Amino acid sequence: MTNYLLRRSAFLLVSFLIAMVAIFVLLRLLPGDPSNALLSVTATPEQIAAAQAQVGADRPVLDQFLTWFAQLTRLDLGESFISSLPVWPEIAARLAVTVPLTLMAFALALAISLVAGFVAAIKADRWYGILISGISQLGVAVPVFWVGILLVSVFSVGLRWLPSSGFPRDDWADPADALRSLTLPVITVALVMSASLTRYVRSATLDVMGSDYLRSARAQGSRYTEALWRHGLRNGAVPIISILGIELATTFLGAVVVESVFGLPGLGSMLLKAIEQHDYPNIQGVLFVSTLVVLVIGFAADVAQRLVDPRLRVSISGNR
Amino acid sequence: MKKHIGFVALGLATTLLLAGCASDADSSSSASAGDSTIEIGSLYEPQNLSNFGGGGQGVTEAFNGNVYEGLFTLTDDGSVEPLLAASNTVSDDGLTYTFTLQDGVTFHSGKALSSADVKASIEAVLSDDSQSARKSSFGAITSIETPDEATVVVTLAERSISFIYNLSYIWIINSEATGLETTEDGTGPYTLGDWKRGSSLSLTRFDDYWGDPAANGEVVFNYFTDATALSNALLTGEVDIVTSVQSPDALTQFNDNPDYVVSDGNSTTKEILVFNDRVAPFDNVDVRKAIYSAIDTKKLLNSIWGDYGTLIGSMVPPTDPWYEDLTQVNPYDPDLATQLLASGGQPNGFEFTLDTPSYDPHPVVAEFVKSELAKVGITVNINTISSDEWYTKVYKAQDFTATLQEHVNDRDVVWYGNPDFYWGYNNPEVSTWVDEAEAAATTEEQTAKLKQVNEQIAQDAASVWLYLYPQIVVASSDVSGYPVNGLNSQFFVYDIVAE
Amino acid sequence: MSAVLIAPADVAGARRNRSWTLLAGLVLVGAVLLVALLSLVWLPYAPADTTGTRLEAPGGTHWLGTDKLGRDLVTQLMIGARIALVVGLGSVAIGAILGITIGLTAAFAVSWLDDTISAALDVVIAFPVLLLAMLIVAAQGASLGSVIVAIGLAMSAVVARLTRVLTKRVLGEQFVTAARTSGTRWPGIVVRHILPNIWPTLSVNLALQFGVAVLAEASLSYLGLGAPPPNASWGRLLQEAQGTVITAPVGAIAPGVALIMLVIGVNFIADGLRDVADPARKGSR
Repeated sequence: MTNYLLRRSAFLLVSFLIAMVAIFVLLRLLPGDPSNALLSVTATPEQIAAAQAQVGADRPVLDQFLTWFAQLTRLDLGESFISSLPVWPEIAARLAVTVPLTLMAFALALAISLVAGFVAAIKADRWYGILISGISQLGVAVPVFWVGILLVSVFSVGLRWLPSSGFPRDDWADPADALRSLTLPVITVALVMSASLTRYVRSATLDVMGSDYLRSARAQGSRYTEALWRHGLRNGAVPIISILGIELATTFLGAVVVESVFGLPGLGSMLLKAIEQHDYPNIQGVLFVSTLVVLVIGFAADVAQRLVDPRLRVSISGNR
Repeated sequence: MKKHIGFVALGLATTLLLAGCASDADSSSSASAGDSTIEIGSLYEPQNLSNFGGGGQGVTEAFNGNVYEGLFTLTDDGSVEPLLAASNTVSDDGLTYTFTLQDGVTFHSGKALSSADVKASIEAVLSDDSQSARKSSFGAITSIETPDEATVVVTLAERSISFIYNLSYIWIINSEATGLETTEDGTGPYTLGDWKRGSSLSLTRFDDYWGDPAANGEVVFNYFTDATALSNALLTGEVDIVTSVQSPDALTQFNDNPDYVVSDGNSTTKEILVFNDRVAPFDNVDVRKAIYSAIDTKKLLNSIWGDYGTLIGSMVPPTDPWYEDLTQVNPYDPDLATQLLASGGQPNGFEFTLDTPSYDPHPVVAEFVKSELAKVGITVNINTISSDEWYTKVYKAQDFTATLQEHVNDRDVVWYGNPDFYWGYNNPEVSTWVDEAEAAATTEEQTAKLKQVNEQIAQDAASVWLYLYPQIVVASSDVSGYPVNGLNSQFFVYDIVAE
Repeated sequence: MSAVLIAPADVAGARRNRSWTLLAGLVLVGAVLLVALLSLVWLPYAPADTTGTRLEAPGGTHWLGTDKLGRDLVTQLMIGARIALVVGLGSVAIGAILGITIGLTAAFAVSWLDDTISAALDVVIAFPVLLLAMLIVAAQGASLGSVIVAIGLAMSAVVARLTRVLTKRVLGEQFVTAARTSGTRWPGIVVRHILPNIWPTLSVNLALQFGVAVLAEASLSYLGLGAPPPNASWGRLLQEAQGTVITAPVGAIAPGVALIMLVIGVNFIADGLRDVADPARKGSR
């Protein structure tokens, strides 16, 4: 296991470095001039030149790369082209919104889908089992922003229970206030995510129920639910864990749409704005953090799978 | 395991519910009127807090007149009044301006305002790396002298009738201040509270302000990225005022509702169909006029703004002193358009590409123009481009046939006097008039010259001035004292009070 | 939003439900397809016809009313159907061609190359289709073409990973080993043995990806990165109608319903196809 952890960590580091270099190169290959975001419709030629100097677009790409890489080794993400402000503090401030949003939505979705998926599987022929399956079919077909807009119309504009958008100025100084702002976004993400998760849980449960070891366990006299619990969970958990890893990463990065609907100052909205303005340092900074998060989640999921099922032959990259 | 998950779920649900219930109680905490907090909703978050570093219109909205002040100020009705300048004199030849500063003005840092700060502030706008949109307005300055602490003498190379007006755009900043991208040191009635990027910016009343103190204790600008979220926030009471409504669709919810007041003020933002007047077929006046007459601008305005907004017929909005109604110079008349096309050498119509910025309202306007011009045999190919591409392709390379753009500033008809400007309108007479207007000795003379310019560009259909945006402010009916005209997107907040 | 790998089999009540699932899927998708085909030869109004009044309510002249510019909503929806199918098919085609090629390459490659490709795919897959598409669209400018390319490219990683796993499984079968030892070259093996064997499972996944693509396009449109107006997609219609939810609710609801119908339809078909592909699972209960 130690050997595996070491190899897996080395893999994590190498793939992270490669990803960062790839992002830098790809961004520089894109058409577009970041200095344009600094101009107004009455900019003079001197102002255009000044804007290009401000963003460093007049320097050779290799030069820009070396500066950036040197900064990166010091864990310095540089300064935004557009605002001239350091990238890292802004990312940190926005993580205070995106991370709680992701974790709460994920926990809620997991709770909903474990219960719903399990019920839908063992009560597949009852009306509520079928209903759950039906709702999950609907859930995977609904655009997430539509759910958000709908919830806002009902619970904010209609019933006035919760704020329609925004996040408290003082962040988490008043946790109840912050939670109130995150309630609708969390529910929005959780509803959509639990639809697809429910289908996975249901299917995994059905697989376990139909499996030979369960049948033999029952033949040996275990009670059905007890057998399902003891053998089923472990076996069913393995495929679910890798799905969960991907879903968690997806939620973290996919929060951009929900942040846009609810006007949350999260990482996603920062990225969207940075992309619009070709603000490379900000784009690189956000992708730096998100790539790291994604790779660490993948790492954790792989390790968790090994812990649950040591028989598993997991290759270095996590592919079976 | 399952049990635990159940508990987690239950716990989370309870937390969410409790959080939900805690909602209404705290929102109506009543401080005394003078110390109230005014919540403002806006779509324009500053990119940074510097007026020279491309902060965008958001920084003007939040800071101009509130945090920073100029020697002069452009009031909400369009007139220029002294602010930090207590008095000023102009030499007879119009080349030397002497300003005496107000007494007892201090910066937020505590330092007293001196003439050196004024000199430094003007020089900063003129500096090589300045991004200020106003830089080119000050080309005539030859020297800035500070004979004493309270006096500034500016010498010009030639007469500049707009000099005082232009000065209203220069913020006087403490010459020793640094880090102005994230902090400020101005003389205005408010200091910067905190700026939470992507979300809000708050201003706190400055207790040592030299003039009348602000009527409220704190103002918070809440930033939104879409208009729907913004009007929802007003409906749910999260904000008290929306500075500039960008779509009339939300207004139905506020129009007949006694809880809200909708103000229809004057803006200076013009939606323009810009031709590249250098290239065929738009180098031909008749073809340009044909297009103008083929577009039912009244219907367009109604489609976009409902009953709001104004038709102008030229570049000059009603708040500029040289405004006149020129809507009949190029009337909507498809038959006339057909005739003009024929006399312009395009009897069978033609095809052109319209570079359309991808953000509102341009795509909708492009669609409308396309369907209108189809009726007179002109085919429009809509080429959607990002704002970035617009600057690269249209503005810098001037590589376009026609485009759509909004021009937000007041008094910007003078750009038609610059033949190198991106729209390439080159009428030497107009250029001369623009120069003569600036060199005029009196405002009457200036006004007369610029009216000539205005009429001529309309005659030449230099561009199609589709409509003037309305300036719609929607506010909760228990707040008052807010500006309604929003000239150049400034928004003075110091008189706003909540009941 | 979700990166569907191998979608779970909807095994429950398989025999009883399967026939109507496939049928319902075919009906839903068929309806959209018919409307799209119809839009090629007939539309109630010209797409850019602005003769209607602004935000007209549903009625005799405009069945579902008009939008802000007075354009007929039914017309817009019909064009939207065409675009949804083009986006779905186009991006699935790109994703399939690219993904299958990469997947096969990895499966046949020496182990270090296989490991490298797989590792790269793992990283790419963890980024949602939407995020990758955002970057590509931002670079290329918003147009229907760049949206399709963006979604297709993002999707290809998922397809590649699945292709690799499936191919490896088939490569272990005796008949492939036999073919190899009898001297059949790899193109022959791919065409004769691999593709026919992996196609059933792969096609199920591609059907699901179709739905993911249509949803991704809608989200891109919502963020202002989707296909611009002359090609008004359902997502774009939803985004434009967002501000008029209260004054003209039909405009904000109808495109959403159409979108959901299509996505549910293809998901149903995918479920139905899965039984054909994997009959063993059918009776697993």
